[in-house]
Amino acid sequence: MSFSSIISRGIKLIIVLLIAVLLIFVGFKFIHRGHHHEEHKVAFNAWGGSPAINEYIAWAGARLKDKHHITLEHVKLNETADAITRILAEKASGKTAGGSVDLIWVNGENFAKMKREGLLRADAWAFELPNFEYTNADKLPGIITDFGTPTDGLESPWGRAQLVFGYDSAHLPEPPRSAAALAAWIKANPGRFSYPKPPDFTGTSFLKQILLETTPNRAQFMQPADSVDSETALAPLWAWLDEVHPHLWRGGRAFPANYTALVQLLGDGEIAIAMAFNPTEFSNGIAQGILPDSVRSYIHDAGTLANVHFVAIPFNANAPHAAMKVANFLLSPKAQLRKADSDIWGDPTVLDMDALPDKIRKKFSELPRGVATLAESDLGKTIAEPHPSWVGVIESAWTRRYGVQ
Amino acid sequence: MRARVALLGFCALPVLAGLGGIAFPAMGWFPPLGRDGFSLAPLQGFLAQPGLWDSLWLSLMTALLSTFLAYWLAMLLLAFLHHEGRGGWIFRLISPLLSVPHITVAVGFLFLLQPSGWLLRLISPWLTGWVRPPDFHLVPDLYGMALVIGLLAKELPFLLLMGLAALSQIPVRAHLDRAAGLGYGALAGWFYVIQPQLSERLRMPVLIVLVFAVSVVDMAVVLAPSTPPPLAVRILEWYRDSDLDFQFIAAVGAVVQLGLAAVAGGIWFVGGALMLRGVKALSARGVRFRVDVWFARLGRRMLLTLGVLPCLLSLAGGVAICIWSVADVWRFPSALPQDWGLRAWSVGGGGLHIPTFNSLYLGLSASALSVVLAILWLENQPKQAARRWESIIYVPLLLPQASFLFGLQILLIFLGLDGAFLTLLWAHSLFVFPYVMLSLGASWRRFDRRYSDVGMTLGKGAMARFFHIKLPMLMVPILTAFAVGFAVSIALYLPTIFASNGRFITLTTESVVLASSASRQALGVASVMQMALPLLVFLGCDLYMRWRGRRFDYFRHG
Repeated sequence: MSFSSIISRGIKLIIVLLIAVLLIFVGFKFIHRGHHHEEHKVAFNAWGGSPAINEYIAWAGARLKDKHHITLEHVKLNETADAITRILAEKASGKTAGGSVDLIWVNGENFAKMKREGLLRADAWAFELPNFEYTNADKLPGIITDFGTPTDGLESPWGRAQLVFGYDSAHLPEPPRSAAALAAWIKANPGRFSYPKPPDFTGTSFLKQILLETTPNRAQFMQPADSVDSETALAPLWAWLDEVHPHLWRGGRAFPANYTALVQLLGDGEIAIAMAFNPTEFSNGIAQGILPDSVRSYIHDAGTLANVHFVAIPFNANAPHAAMKVANFLLSPKAQLRKADSDIWGDPTVLDMDALPDKIRKKFSELPRGVATLAESDLGKTIAEPHPSWVGVIESAWTRRYGVQ
Repeated sequence: MRARVALLGFCALPVLAGLGGIAFPAMGWFPPLGRDGFSLAPLQGFLAQPGLWDSLWLSLMTALLSTFLAYWLAMLLLAFLHHEGRGGWIFRLISPLLSVPHITVAVGFLFLLQPSGWLLRLISPWLTGWVRPPDFHLVPDLYGMALVIGLLAKELPFLLLMGLAALSQIPVRAHLDRAAGLGYGALAGWFYVIQPQLSERLRMPVLIVLVFAVSVVDMAVVLAPSTPPPLAVRILEWYRDSDLDFQFIAAVGAVVQLGLAAVAGGIWFVGGALMLRGVKALSARGVRFRVDVWFARLGRRMLLTLGVLPCLLSLAGGVAICIWSVADVWRFPSALPQDWGLRAWSVGGGGLHIPTFNSLYLGLSASALSVVLAILWLENQPKQAARRWESIIYVPLLLPQASFLFGLQILLIFLGLDGAFLTLLWAHSLFVFPYVMLSLGASWRRFDRRYSDVGMTLGKGAMARFFHIKLPMLMVPILTAFAVGFAVSIALYLPTIFASNGRFITLTTESVVLASSASRQALGVASVMQMALPLLVFLGCDLYMRWRGRRFDYFRHG
């Protein structure tokens, strides 16, 4: 090989590599990257399956950018467990700062797990937020006890939820208002009922609802699952499911992935009854054209599960102080008002009306209630969530019994 | 030489690291997660999973069946169409499918074939009498057939293209003439003489298809049964479980998937060997397969229908996707939306511009990088002997994706490199580079050296010869390879999920999330973008070549 050819070959290689490197780094500046080391970027890990919620979070991001120069990055999760796994792995590998999650949308079992594993920022930051003043834990105990677990200020309340059923009044004049009536209706109308596949949150909640309605001893579920004989305790639930499963949509051999998919099935007319953990979900569906305007909602006579959902900051968050500002903004009357609007999201507020200034209270009372949203008085009856340890027990038993066929 | 070694490291190291990253956790040893003793617990935990054998069977069966159908349909189509010399239209029909991502084909099937899908909307209620969707297991069905057809629609075009490339290296005409001289008809001659040569040359593409089918996740999430899902989907579910024990069970699953791919490959090759013996026995007896003309014609018709059907379904699915993206309200059983509108584009656009930009940027840079690497590789590889090493670059395609990506991700977390853009670019290039090589290699090697030699006699240096003669002359294959690379990158699901630790959203990851939610409109928009981007890149390359080619018009027409 001659000297000149070596030189030229070298130049060739360098030029080509330079072009490649240039290409990579030019766009590198503009890319929405995973890693962020500036304080003003907040990676908000929240379930991303609902366009209405995603849009609300995008609105919050725009407001935060204007007012606080915080860039809110919505990391859309399939399941909240994804992010918890990541934080667990970060903790196990010794990453105590600069973690990938700044703020996470959690409650119930996920919160209990994060608290137990020490994955949360350990000062009572949530109680210190200025807007926490507007809440009242005496009226809504769920704000400081999440599924029976004290929050200890490790998470800041965001919204309220209650299990609500929806039905198409054009096909079904009078919906069944108890677990027993529902079972009878399913058997009389095969193929017209389903629920999201556990471990989906709404699917598991439906199982808990049926369990608490059919059990002769509701109090035992307030205890940790391992302090009770779970076989016996869960027997009424399995009896109910065994009875109805052959008559479910697709013969109980396929399930929708989550409540949004379930609501879509109601809109298509494949099923006649759906459920969601949001009292305004069905009005939203009508507003978005997913559901026909003959859809209405109802709850069981015995009441339905209700809880509060929160945002929490992991122990190794990269931008904890900016995340607190985000949490405070999400709790602000302005943000809560917009969230409660059923044209936007329709998630009930966690704020206490009596603690609010008159002007804002008036705005809350003037919010339009969709045609398919129950009045506050009709939603009054609630059932307390069982101890979070039951979730895992119910889910794994369900998968063994019905998840594989 | 050094460049080649570096390139091999680029391809082989992450694979080796990734395999190590599953092997140790599978045996219960992984200090970063606080486990520092070997144990059988992960294996026991894996075996205790309910419905395990159903999952394994589902994976194996769908992979073998879809590959079998795709391969033989492709071979028969080649035999018939090559023989008749007028099958151009079918290739034109099929080739756009090459650039459409798997998930988009799956979404199209869903929109078209599910009980509330477009097909039933078109014939309801006037024909079927249904005002509500029937309660059928159509898509997804109970046996994985929807997945088989979906895979078939994607793999048939790929194998056809690979088959065409292989045929160009075989002196088909001469061989068939000789067979005809011995009294063998065109088809018999094809199967005795051409098919064995073809199957040998297609060994690797078929293996790529088979392994991909074993490990496919995005398509399976949409089209496969879910009680229980195939193994690949369950590995991802275990990996995502918030209980850390499941990380180890997922690692065992990844090892088992490797075994499953080996079993599938073994079955395939044993079947192929038996088949070859059969062909030999038949040819030794001189069987000439005389059949009636009408029978042959009928067979041909059926074959064409079978070959075209999955592609037509995908095409109709693409139309359904486009309609959903501009449907504000579309309720069963209306054949067309009640309200048309761009709401999903304005609303979803707010959420979709980031994944669109990410997909575009990632695809362009991964593809550009791979093309540059491929040119470096091909230019620095004069000797035939070195070709043996080349197969290493295809290793990422010949192993089930989850098997090493999962391990790679554990190591990346350990090294603190997870979620970095360069890591993601590397992971994408692992898969893009081999396809670029498949696309570019043959044309590059066919380049007539004498053009360069003429340049040398005119006193041009190596640089000038490369940039002024070789590069411009090979621009068409280079741009084609670039477009192919882009199409590969935009379709990648698992590599994106694992290398970015779930933090980098692309159109494909977004589609998988949207596929299980209420907004068919948003899913429609995402899918339209996914179809459009690779198509635009192909078109852009084509237009550029036309523009470049204009200056030669004088020679052509003058």
